[in-house]
Amino acid sequence: MIEARNLRKEYGDFAAVEDSTFEVTDGEVFGIVGPNGAGKTTTLKMLAGLLEPTSGDATVAGYDASETEMRSHLGFLPEESPLYEEMTPITYLEFFADLYDVPGSLAEERIQETLDELDLEHQDRQLGDMSKGMKRKVAIARSLINDPDVLVYDEPASGLDPLTTNYIIQFTEQLAAEGKTIVFSAHNLFHVESICDRVAIMNEGEIVARGDLAALQSEHGETTYHVYTTVEVPDSVRKNGRWHRVVGTMEAVERTRDAAQGAGGSVADIRTEESSLEEVFLNVAEGHEGEGKSEA
Amino acid sequence: MQIRKLLRIARWEVTKNAGGVDRRTVAVVVAAIALLALVAPLVAAGGVGVDSGLYRVGVDESSPYYDVVRQDDTFVVTGPDATAYDDGDLELLITGERIRVQPTTKGEAAHDELRSSVQQYNDEQLKLEANQSAAFPVSVALEFRSQTGLGDRLRIDQDGGEATETDGAGGDDGGAAGETDDGAAGEADGGENASRSVDPDTESGGVGGLGGLGGPLGNEGVSGSPSDIDPPFPFESLVLAFVFVIPMNFVIQAYGSTILSERINRRGELLLVSPVSRLDIIGGKTLPYFLGAMAIEGAIAVGLIYTVDGTVGGLVSILAMTPLVLLFLGATFLGAMFARSFKELTFVTVTITVVLTSYAFVPAIFTDVGAIALISPLTIVVRNLQNEGVTLGEFAFSTLPPMLSAIVFFGLGSGLYREEDMFDQRSIRGRVLDALAGPISRPYHVGVMTAVLIPFVFVLELLAVASLFALGEISIVLILVVVAVLEELAKSLHIYAAYEHRTFEARRKVALVLGAISGVGFFLGEKLALLAQLVGLPELAIGEAALQGAVFTGPILVLFLLAPLALHVTTAAISAVGAGRGKRSYILGVGIAILVHLGYNLAVVTAVA
Repeated sequence: MIEARNLRKEYGDFAAVEDSTFEVTDGEVFGIVGPNGAGKTTTLKMLAGLLEPTSGDATVAGYDASETEMRSHLGFLPEESPLYEEMTPITYLEFFADLYDVPGSLAEERIQETLDELDLEHQDRQLGDMSKGMKRKVAIARSLINDPDVLVYDEPASGLDPLTTNYIIQFTEQLAAEGKTIVFSAHNLFHVESICDRVAIMNEGEIVARGDLAALQSEHGETTYHVYTTVEVPDSVRKNGRWHRVVGTMEAVERTRDAAQGAGGSVADIRTEESSLEEVFLNVAEGHEGEGKSEA
Repeated sequence: MQIRKLLRIARWEVTKNAGGVDRRTVAVVVAAIALLALVAPLVAAGGVGVDSGLYRVGVDESSPYYDVVRQDDTFVVTGPDATAYDDGDLELLITGERIRVQPTTKGEAAHDELRSSVQQYNDEQLKLEANQSAAFPVSVALEFRSQTGLGDRLRIDQDGGEATETDGAGGDDGGAAGETDDGAAGEADGGENASRSVDPDTESGGVGGLGGLGGPLGNEGVSGSPSDIDPPFPFESLVLAFVFVIPMNFVIQAYGSTILSERINRRGELLLVSPVSRLDIIGGKTLPYFLGAMAIEGAIAVGLIYTVDGTVGGLVSILAMTPLVLLFLGATFLGAMFARSFKELTFVTVTITVVLTSYAFVPAIFTDVGAIALISPLTIVVRNLQNEGVTLGEFAFSTLPPMLSAIVFFGLGSGLYREEDMFDQRSIRGRVLDALAGPISRPYHVGVMTAVLIPFVFVLELLAVASLFALGEISIVLILVVVAVLEELAKSLHIYAAYEHRTFEARRKVALVLGAISGVGFFLGEKLALLAQLVGLPELAIGEAALQGAVFTGPILVLFLLAPLALHVTTAAISAVGAGRGKRSYILGVGIAILVHLGYNLAVVTAVA
């Protein structure tokens, strides 16, 4: 559904995105994470046809990203919610429905359905008088007005209160369940981890890691072992009547078992804990820290 | 471009803004339109009487001039009080057929006004005659002139100037004018009376009779400068021009705001990602303002013509206003793409208002003066409203440069109407360079861009001609300076912009090639100036100075084609070499190019004179 091949975007001497290549299949939710300035937004804007790549190309829903026709199959949600504040939500959505050639009656039905699903109140108010969360919901509704196959969402829950954030994440999950192909960027890695099938980690314009969460954890994460013994062993702490030691390798687990047996005790329990996406991200970012930014 | 989508955006533009205009703004706009609607027909129907009661006249009721001054609101009429005249309380004292004129500026102006009134009175009396052919006999004066070259033409212009001076000082030509239409009128009663009735002790007593009044404005074929214009000032032209220009300034404020608001807080980003092209967006956003402006201008034109003639017309005026409306909108569009905030937009729109109003308004005031006024399309409008004919050549001369300039403005602005340029915070200088460098990716684009800028240069040069027209001899030197500066910037600024964007290698050889291409592009584009020949603007010495190289014919044509080509290539190459080495070198390079160009211009003008 989406193919990006060697996407590169330069601003003068600065390369905001370097040779970015990835694919997103039908119905997949693909997350892009990275620190500020990593090139996430630039990548998404090249997919949406807003920015022309310096080199490389992208296809979305079978169309080159630079084609006007492609935009009929795309729902793009930028990081901010730039709305025409003189309009009401209804007139604003009618305007975009008109531009997307959505027939009047269908547009009316779709607008009301989406606004109801998003639980948008005060639909007759001017957008300028609405809260940030309300505006964000209208922006999401606009991205769905053409019933697109592909959604490109840049930080959809950025700057919103926890309740609205949760609501929007759930709504995005619902869209994914409906079969939409979604490319999603976020600072909050918990959100990405909770809804994305695959993730690309960007740093300084490059994709430095990619894959599903398990693969990323395997490649860049760590498994932590929590060993509970019946007797005290070195580096252990007393916890709920047992002794608890945290180690990073199976060899260390075996040494802990030997130590417990040597002290006349035994291992009561062993639990494993995988790295979160945040820890994977930090590991990847630290791994690339200090590498110089390439010049265009 | 999809017209359907463009119209949709236009419709929504109106809907969107209709909700954003408060009642106070609506009230101000309605009041302004109502004022215009009130003032314009008054002016068109004969003025608003700002000179009412200006001069005091003491006149005997038995005098043949009594009815003349009574029906002219300019005069305050009292009895023939000689004491009041001696005390300076009367400008004119008329007893019988004897006229005494105060030897003051105001007294002379009153005397001039009396002449006009007599002429008008005579005409009105003659219109009452049963035999109109006898009342208004047609007199044709034939003058055979041999075809001459430029030098002769310049000398003829100078002679004409001397003749104009003689008109004012002596009166010989006043007598000569009496042989034409004025003279015919002079044979009527009023004229005869008038010619016998001048007080010999006044300075103006030597001027030909009242019935033979001519003056520079009445002399066919002789052009002058505003300083040659006798009272009354061309008030009607002034107000008519003003009436048409004022609404444009309201329209561009609203238009500039709507374009800039798309760029504030990235509001226009979602339109860019919708299935419409940027031309659809720009066209859709511009169309309501264009149609609105044209509706206002059209209503004014049709209304004025209906008020004056009682007929429905004004098509020529509407067609002539179209490029001017587009020029205002195009300049505003580009300005709004340059501005980063509403504060900067205010600066930009005020600049546009001043420059374009000057361009449109100032020449149109002097519609009656000569070809110079045709620089502005508004002159066509004023002529149309005054029932004067306009040739196709005159129409093209007035309207093509602003039309092409408007296209250049929209073209440069639309190059910036994209995600990368719309929402950043680069300075106006940076944006100007972006706009110029954007379309350039290959060397030949430099030549195309230079040619594209020609209409813009042409309009500015014509504006300079119009602005400096009244300064006399010095204006020619100033024009040459302005021409050199404008043309050298037009040939080199985009090369500098391209170097700033690292489009080309900063090697001397490359710079020389780019300069040569730019020079050739300018030379070819400059031929647009040939349009000027259609209306004879070069026959004015000042027009010759501005448009030299484009008006020669005959054996010297080749020389005058090759010389400008060599000039443009050389100076553009100098600037390009400087541009390739950075900002300071560019300033130095273009400075040298301007001096070379100025030297060339002065040499040419000196040679042909």
